[in-house]
Amino acid sequence: MVDPVPETRSGLLDRYQPVGAFDEAFDDDGSVRDTYSRIVERFRELDVDEIKRLEKLVADEFRRQGITFTVYSEDEGTERIWPMDLFPRLIAAAEWEELARGLSQRVAAMNCFLADLYNGGGQAIADGVLPRWLVMSSQGFERNAMGIAVPHSAHCNVAGIDVVRDADGRYRVLEDNLRSPSGISYVVENRAAMAKACSWLFYDHAVQPTEQYGQMLRSTLESMAPGGEDDPHIVVLTPGIFNSAYFEHAFLARSMGVELVEGRDLVVDGHSVYTRTIEGLVKVDVIYRRIDDDFLDPVAFRPDSTLGVPGLLSALRAGTVAVCNALGNGVVDDKGVYPYVPELIRYYLGSEPIIDNVTTYMMWDPDQRREALDRLDELVAKPVGESGGYGVLIGPHATEQQLDEARATIEAEPRDWIVQELVQLSTLPSVADDRLEPRHLDLRPFVLTGERTQVFPGGLTRVAMRRGSLIVNSSQGGGSKDTWVLAPEAP
Amino acid sequence: MKLGISYRMRFRYSEPVTECQNEVRVRPRDDDYQRVLSYRLTSQPQLQVLSVVDYWGTVVEHLGIRTPHTELELLAEATVETATRSGPAEAAAGPALDDAGFRLEHLEFLEPSQHVDWHPGDAVEQRAAAAVTGAASVPDMVSAVLADVRGALSYEQGATDIGISLTELLGGGAGVCQDFAHLALGMLRSVGVPARYVSGYLFAADETSANAETAELVTVQTHAWIEVALPGSGWWALDPTNGGPVGERHVVIGCGRDYGDVPPVRGAFMGSGTAEVDAEVVIGRHVEGPPAVAASAPGRQVAAAPAPPAPNWRNQQSQQQQQQ
Repeated sequence: MVDPVPETRSGLLDRYQPVGAFDEAFDDDGSVRDTYSRIVERFRELDVDEIKRLEKLVADEFRRQGITFTVYSEDEGTERIWPMDLFPRLIAAAEWEELARGLSQRVAAMNCFLADLYNGGGQAIADGVLPRWLVMSSQGFERNAMGIAVPHSAHCNVAGIDVVRDADGRYRVLEDNLRSPSGISYVVENRAAMAKACSWLFYDHAVQPTEQYGQMLRSTLESMAPGGEDDPHIVVLTPGIFNSAYFEHAFLARSMGVELVEGRDLVVDGHSVYTRTIEGLVKVDVIYRRIDDDFLDPVAFRPDSTLGVPGLLSALRAGTVAVCNALGNGVVDDKGVYPYVPELIRYYLGSEPIIDNVTTYMMWDPDQRREALDRLDELVAKPVGESGGYGVLIGPHATEQQLDEARATIEAEPRDWIVQELVQLSTLPSVADDRLEPRHLDLRPFVLTGERTQVFPGGLTRVAMRRGSLIVNSSQGGGSKDTWVLAPEAP
Repeated sequence: MKLGISYRMRFRYSEPVTECQNEVRVRPRDDDYQRVLSYRLTSQPQLQVLSVVDYWGTVVEHLGIRTPHTELELLAEATVETATRSGPAEAAAGPALDDAGFRLEHLEFLEPSQHVDWHPGDAVEQRAAAAVTGAASVPDMVSAVLADVRGALSYEQGATDIGISLTELLGGGAGVCQDFAHLALGMLRSVGVPARYVSGYLFAADETSANAETAELVTVQTHAWIEVALPGSGWWALDPTNGGPVGERHVVIGCGRDYGDVPPVRGAFMGSGTAEVDAEVVIGRHVEGPPAVAASAPGRQVAAAPAPPAPNWRNQQSQQQQQQ
């Protein structure tokens, strides 16, 4: 028996209307961009029922694999199935190469700054590249990190740099994450689910693989072992099962083939760190930690921390263990420091930034503050110490009362805020009920630095699930897309 | 003045403790006014000590123990030669405090900090503003604030715990040397005078009296005082607890924004019991021969720590930033 063929297929893309932003698949005339020609063709062949069937396949796969994320409300966390949109994001080889160069450059400069600040006497500050008071007043500036040796000056071993494309399609950096950037597990799992549910989509494309992340991270961490230890003992330190990214911590440990530990599994003896095992203590060389600086060691930091390892700071100071990412990276995540990153690139590397920042106004500068607060209804205000989209005010979407409140808050504590031009994030077709509609997205590529720097191909594409929404963070209800970096065309 | 100092810390646990990690900041520093002639830190049981200099320039010694024990004793012994200090070289006028360069240089000692938690407009600032009204110079402002602190607080052992806010402290009206120092720091910073916390030892039978008759050997606690930055003439040390100057009977360990940057001892232990910490400083004029330790001097109990309330570990797990 043969399925009846519908007389007229309602094309999923027939009524696709760009929304005044750069669309990555269609140009202004509505013609398909080259990179997307084959994907769009494939999606034109699908109907609603088929899309629904594929979406269910993917969701079932995620459910079976336990691929979830946690949304906190009140004190309780709610687990949800990881949302992935079926229409993938494609990045052509040459475009990716340029982007990857820009990301390497940015992370290199930020690593230079961290090494300078904590181990180099603060030359950039002495030379006036950025103000000393800004660094001293940063919540992320960690005085206990001062003088702790970091191999290869690689303070940030795993960076997640959030990039967006503006109305002209140019990439810009929106935010740097140099502490515990999360999301890489979803990059790998998205690909696995996509390959399972939609293998036919890959036939027309040469896509760079993603399953090697564990190997890449492992070799990066191995290069951080104190004293160049040949076969170092690596562990992943998690806060525990109630953390929103616990799934990822387990994933990383598994894909690197190392232990997943909590603070209570580790012990410091004679200024070295050990894991407790049934065979006794085994020395640890490298800790990939996913807990905050403040919680790492209850002796040196918060005494009430139940997650850390008493004496860990003494082991770091003795140079017997590496903690990755290093202590004190939060100073670069401080959005007050972000506007200075282009200058840091020029200062340390002597080159022009390949990827620009989004135009940013520093609220502690009275002139910039006045200008930005006058136009706040067109701009975006962000608290300097938050990430994940928390506390962000989007001017055009705010009420008069919200704007007035924000102005007062900023006037009272100008150091705590930056204000940015609103970027109309680029869009891609995304499944919305019975058709594909443009949805805004960003990209979080991951940059690994140890003895050398590698940019992992692609990254996590986050997509706003509601029409017109610019909030893509999964903690705020965003979804994701499988991200394909295409292999260079054969000559 | 040549002083012999011995600082003995005894940790006693009601149940055997399997692990214990400590950081101590008890070594006197070397500076323009004092020279460390000898120093050693020993422990019973014997432990490996890692000694480093922290961000604030203070020597911090890390010690850990991983064998079950019910008692741990640390003994720091130092011989220090101290000199007298002169007062402020010049009496800078108040407006010099507003110089942008001067403020930036001393930023960390102008802002509120963990234990010096004043806020613009609060009782601390109001009190300071009233106290300095009419002061002709920065040293006059400082003297006026110190006099006001001694009016606001009476000296009382055990009146406060570390962690008390300045507002609570003012409400209670009593405290020990840390409290006098913290309140003075808050008031001074709130009127724009950079001020930092000093941890150290004082050779005096009574820390509340600057001119107390001093015995040959006294058994006391560690002491705390402050230093203020004067435009044009550097740091000036003062002792808010007794209102007097800082002189050759003061021995500096180190300084920071407040107590939290230079605590003499900080640690964590694993075990189900409760901890008692006795600490005593025996200090006297150094005489050649056996160390000036009054072995039989009764230790004063500075903290009988009950089992801490169970922290909310589930909340802590979910608080960790996973940059999403």
